[in-house]
Amino acid sequence: MRSTISLSPRQMALAVALVAGGGAVGTLARDLALRLQSAATPSLPNSSTYVSSNVATFVRVAHPSWSSHVPWVLLGINFLGVYAAVVLLRGILRHHDPNDPMRLLLVTGLLGGFTSYSSLFVSLGEIWHLSVPASLGVAGGAVASGLLAAWLGLRTMGPRR
Amino acid sequence: MTTLYVSLAGALGAVVRFLVEYAVRRHHPTRRPWATVGANALGCAIAGWVAYQLVSPVDATARAVILTGFCGGLTTFSSAFAIPAILQREHHWGYAAALITSTPLLCAAGFALGAGLAHP
Repeated sequence: MRSTISLSPRQMALAVALVAGGGAVGTLARDLALRLQSAATPSLPNSSTYVSSNVATFVRVAHPSWSSHVPWVLLGINFLGVYAAVVLLRGILRHHDPNDPMRLLLVTGLLGGFTSYSSLFVSLGEIWHLSVPASLGVAGGAVASGLLAAWLGLRTMGPRR
Repeated sequence: MTTLYVSLAGALGAVVRFLVEYAVRRHHPTRRPWATVGANALGCAIAGWVAYQLVSPVDATARAVILTGFCGGLTTFSSAFAIPAILQREHHWGYAAALITSTPLLCAAGFALGAGLAHP
């Protein structure tokens, strides 16, 4: 397919609009999904017990069990995002360069906004204050789940391409 | 309203990530997505600072907008694993392995740096 390294001003405006639109929808979906979990386990800083400016102290006092800080919903979001990205990049987007409008909308924008590395580390930081081995274990589990999702995506698309 | 601001901040974060990737790709035409690794590390550094700095209950909205919105949009988990998977399938094994291992390590370093600056 066409290989566009540089974008004209008009193409750039379209690219930014597509990434922004996809990013807004992806972030909205992640935000709404994460609220399902935070409704069940109130987290920083919405709890009424939150009085200290020290995050580590708050984490130890308000939620002393590290398992309540495991970001299950985010791990699920990231798993789905990796799987969907591999299926798209090995499927309908396989001949498309990184500046292709469809790839910008779906992969860079939508799935990029839907998944998050930073929120994972915020949760890992909270777990770190309660149990360092647990935080390392959850971090390893997150990487393993990403690898599993990528492998499943490759398997779904098969060896034909 | 917070939901709207979070969504718009996520759009802004994704656009910043795209512009960083585009700027690098334009000057160094390559399939090697180090700009994405950089965006992830930068997003985690900002998240580390905000998570340990904006801790007052009055900061709750700003915290959600920056952490869930901007940093969430700036960072990407999907490309961090999908791009190496594609590269692996194209027989760039070593490069895929380097991306998979360096991203979480650089993100952890960035997060620790940001958190350390906020809460020494």
